[in-house]
Amino acid sequence: MIRIERRLTEARWLVVAVPLGSLLGAAILSSIILFLTGHDPLATWARLLDRGFFASGAMSATLVTATPLLLTGLAAAAAFRMQTWNIGAEGQLYLGAIGASGIGIALRGQPALVIIPAMVIAGLATGAAWAAIPGVLRAYTRTNEIITSLMLNYVAGLLMTYLIFDSHSFWRDLSSFTARVFPQGKYLSEAASWPSFPIGGAVIPLGLLLGVVAAAVLWLVYTATRFGFEARVIGDSRAAAHYAGIRTRRKIVAVMALSGALAGLGGASEIGDFRHVLDPRGLQQASFGYAGIVVAALARLNPFAVIVVAILLGGLSNAGFSLQGATFPAGLVGTLQGLILFCALAGELLVHYRVRIGRPGRKAPPLSQVGVA
Amino acid sequence: MVAAGQVPAVTMRGISKRFPGVRANDQVDFEVLPGEIHALLGENGAGKSTLSNILTGLYRPDEGEILLRGKPVVFQSPRDAIEAGIGMVHQHFRLAASFTVAENLVLGHRDAADRGLLLEPRMVEGRITDLSQRYRMPVNPRARIWQLSVGEQQRVEILKALYRGARILILDEPTSQLTPQEADDLFQTLRLMAGERRAVIFISHKLEEVMAVSNRVTVLRGGRVIGTVMTKETNTRELARMMVGREVVFTQKKEGPAQPERQVALELRGISANGDLGTAALREVNVTVHAGEIVGIAGVAGNGQRELAEVITGMRRRTAGQVAIRGRVMRGGDPLEPIQWGVAYVPDDRLGTGVAPSLSIADNLVLKAYRRAPISTFGVLHPRRIRAHATELMQRFNIGASTSQTPARQLSGGNIQKVLLARELSSRPLVLVANSPTSGLDVGATDTVRKLLLEAAGRGVGILLISEDLDEILALADRIAVLYNGRITGIVERQHADVEQIGLMMAGAA
Amino acid sequence: MKKSAAFVLTLVAALGLGACGTSNTSSGSSSTPSVIKAAWVYVGPITDHGWTQAHDEGRKYVEQQLGSAVQTTYKENVPEGPQVAQVIEDLIRDGNKIIFGTSFGFQDAFYSEAQKHPDIKFEQATGFKTAANMGEYFGAAEDADYLTGMALGAASKKGKIGFVAPFPIPEVIREINAVTLGAQTTHPGATVQVVWTNTWFDPTKEKQAAQSLLSLGVDAIGQGQDSPATGDAAKAVGVPWSGYDSDQSSYAPDIWLTGTVYHWGPYYAKRVKAALDGSWKMDNYYGSIADGMIGLAPFGKSVPAAIQSQITAKMDAIKGGTFYEFTGPLKDQTGSTHVPAGTKLTLNDLFSMDWFVQGVIGSPKGS
Repeated sequence: MIRIERRLTEARWLVVAVPLGSLLGAAILSSIILFLTGHDPLATWARLLDRGFFASGAMSATLVTATPLLLTGLAAAAAFRMQTWNIGAEGQLYLGAIGASGIGIALRGQPALVIIPAMVIAGLATGAAWAAIPGVLRAYTRTNEIITSLMLNYVAGLLMTYLIFDSHSFWRDLSSFTARVFPQGKYLSEAASWPSFPIGGAVIPLGLLLGVVAAAVLWLVYTATRFGFEARVIGDSRAAAHYAGIRTRRKIVAVMALSGALAGLGGASEIGDFRHVLDPRGLQQASFGYAGIVVAALARLNPFAVIVVAILLGGLSNAGFSLQGATFPAGLVGTLQGLILFCALAGELLVHYRVRIGRPGRKAPPLSQVGVA
Repeated sequence: MVAAGQVPAVTMRGISKRFPGVRANDQVDFEVLPGEIHALLGENGAGKSTLSNILTGLYRPDEGEILLRGKPVVFQSPRDAIEAGIGMVHQHFRLAASFTVAENLVLGHRDAADRGLLLEPRMVEGRITDLSQRYRMPVNPRARIWQLSVGEQQRVEILKALYRGARILILDEPTSQLTPQEADDLFQTLRLMAGERRAVIFISHKLEEVMAVSNRVTVLRGGRVIGTVMTKETNTRELARMMVGREVVFTQKKEGPAQPERQVALELRGISANGDLGTAALREVNVTVHAGEIVGIAGVAGNGQRELAEVITGMRRRTAGQVAIRGRVMRGGDPLEPIQWGVAYVPDDRLGTGVAPSLSIADNLVLKAYRRAPISTFGVLHPRRIRAHATELMQRFNIGASTSQTPARQLSGGNIQKVLLARELSSRPLVLVANSPTSGLDVGATDTVRKLLLEAAGRGVGILLISEDLDEILALADRIAVLYNGRITGIVERQHADVEQIGLMMAGAA
Repeated sequence: MKKSAAFVLTLVAALGLGACGTSNTSSGSSSTPSVIKAAWVYVGPITDHGWTQAHDEGRKYVEQQLGSAVQTTYKENVPEGPQVAQVIEDLIRDGNKIIFGTSFGFQDAFYSEAQKHPDIKFEQATGFKTAANMGEYFGAAEDADYLTGMALGAASKKGKIGFVAPFPIPEVIREINAVTLGAQTTHPGATVQVVWTNTWFDPTKEKQAAQSLLSLGVDAIGQGQDSPATGDAAKAVGVPWSGYDSDQSSYAPDIWLTGTVYHWGPYYAKRVKAALDGSWKMDNYYGSIADGMIGLAPFGKSVPAAIQSQITAKMDAIKGGTFYEFTGPLKDQTGSTHVPAGTKLTLNDLFSMDWFVQGVIGSPKGS
């Protein structure tokens, strides 16, 4: 009989040993699969690490993929910490992209110092506004925010599609030759391209820097402010929060808006840093919002860990494209990526829980022998 | 009733169970004869629950063995225990509220599922009616659980165990939510079951009822068996000494007339309010509490106590009436308002409402003060001041925890209550509303809480003490009001209090 | 909080340690002049039974034709956006000398990568941006679409045909017009009802669109989508169906009519060979039925022999240049003449087509 029990105390050495162990586990499991499918495990691992992180330019490319993951990961972490389940980072990112590209088009001709801050603010604001909808519904009508925020993702996707494919909207380019061959949005001016900063061989997009700042701010807000204290109390027990006189409804709306603002910033960064045009197909294909939930979960909602996990997943995603090819099917790549994530999560679980394998004997082993007490 | 030389229904030998840092059971020997009502007496944390969890297959002992009718058994899961004829009635019922009595009885019952009779209501209903008549536990098999009173729900739990063929029945604190009359009915039922040579294990920390219902008593303290005695050969005093390890005399309010010239601290005028289901829970309640006075609200839980406390503390909207603090009428419906006006509140749901369970002691101690200087200024918290505040209160209120960063949920009930009282009393309130402040606490903690309440009253705090424990109210309150079915059915001065009269009022008979 | 950060940092440290000493083993770019590495970047999965699969069959054709002189690879499911450039960089690092992209949405990334890597040949399907080292290619699907329309018209009893269409863009609009004109030759007065999906490849959406058309009572259904999901929906109700991109007959042989197919292989082989021997030059290629890039999938068993020979005869006429479907008089949806008698639409007209011919139900501007 196998039982899983929560550990009453978390041993310190486990915090170091378990990640190493889970990585080793991932390496062994994936090596077996690679070997069985006729691939050289060592070469595959080497390539994965090389193309994800160490080859020249690889880190820069990884940061490009990591930037939206960082911001949607922070968005998820911000909401989840208060046990508010915002699954709508996907749609909030779209709205951020719509807002940022809209303001970018409207301010064409203005200098970068005007356009770029305006885009950042527009992304934050539109994302926050979109997230406030499920927030208000949750707070004042007790509608499940998981469902409403998820459904609004589809609405946001359709809205983007409508703006570019189904209407002659402000965002749509109706004049260029390309736009007549295939509908597309208006490209932003050169001044609306966000700057990037080369640091030690890697190019850091502005969006990533903003994300790191946002992570620090989020951490400070949650640990050192009244706002964060109230969010922590609500997250732990709504009844206790009500008892303590905390305005839980307003707080739910505020935290949803904060979460949405971060996702919206992710959308603004996609426009300003990388795409420079509202691109409904590309954004929807990327699913950054949903990936952000995975990032937040792996980081255990710690904003600083979100940074690291986003970069790891970004590298893993890029390296995945590098691995696949005529002799290396995409399914196998997905399996490897899944194994690494699975082992990381399983290891994480082992820090908090222990597996007990009981024998049908008369005496169960004392806890002290299981290595915990 | 207990004859020597019988094969015991249950024998537990040398049972030990350790949790990190705790020996919950240490070499416990325990036996129950068929036809016997055997009380398991002990304070909270004495190991009663651990022992019953071992017997019902939830835990496995680190050492020791269990014999049923003389044969050793090993339970891998609660299901094994159920199949061996052990039935458990938990303190908190495990019934599906939207299902009927009959459906609850067959729910998850293996036999029913195996025969494909997932729900054959008629047949089940017939058996339920038989059982309930036999043991004098009237209950309608077609009623849905949420429609039943607490006492009726408990009958369903007992019927469920009997329906599954339990020969050994364990009841964990079964009277904690019953009226005295309901408790008597329960005892009657238990005697009938014992008469059929079923073994009944009665877990309690209330001495009187143990004396009233049991044949033998086994007393646990600190995980060990202190002794097993025949009920008729002992008395409450001896049992109390065995249970606590010393002579017990609870703190009492010193006699002396209340001082009516003092200021009115809390005044309730014609308060009506609805319960969670939207039905009237309070009807025109009028109560006045003076500064330094303790007014006890006696009554069985579910008669509007929680609603009364929640209306005063702004957690529930009233439908009529007024609440005034020192003569100022509150808007109501906003918990922050009474906090700012000096109303402290010790809710009955300690761990879910009174504290945020995962937050640290330090955080819980500033659960209300966090919004003011010196704990926070301009929206920014000051962690060092929070810690200092915690250290001071932990010392002053003797809160037993290694550090102020310990999560509240890891504390014992008594320590949680100390955290609550430390926070509420340190805010220098004008009024304190305390709902069941000692329920579930052990003797030592109960005494501490009582002392703290009396001290607060001595400093001029007006206290509304809501309690089901009539002894406690008699010990502490200056005046006693009885709440029945949402109405105050009478208010008496303690000096003139007649226990029987109050008991009748609690049952709505006066 | 601190613990989880430590957890992740340890993970990173371990990754870093693992990387030391092994990072040199990645494959270098040591291709000898006699072997060329060629790569394809796909937007969808190679198992889509449609657009991407057709291209991947072309890639395999190159391998067959050139044998050991070529080494091919591909990347599938590449999302349009910043990752396209990363994938291209990665392919170049692996030594690929000619890279094909098969989605219009890759165009900008291909173009900017072409500027950065003048020694690499780029080819991009369905677009129009060219450079000294970047060519474009596509095929005149409308000719085969017209023939597919003939099969649909003949199969429809009521003359009510449905069409599941991706985007309201000239490429798709001329396809729908060609289908409609073809259907009206075998079933005079036939109508073609259009539902836009706003996606190239999304089997769920495509199937839902097809079902909505079928519920409106169309009794023959065609598609411009990249998956055979339309056939899936048609199979359930036994309505004749024409496919697109590849021969999809195996999906629902009983209801299969025919479909426009692309034979990318010969073009790919030609271009890779040219890159290998140094004769590669930028081109803007528009393939046709005549040169074999465009074709008609084998007829299904439900297409009568008489109709088969009628369609084959028309195909020969198109190949021979004696027939062109976009020759006036052509009426638009309002019934007024849009193209006067005798006028032939030019390639430019086709590439900017934004109007539907008479008989199409739906808006050329989208839903």
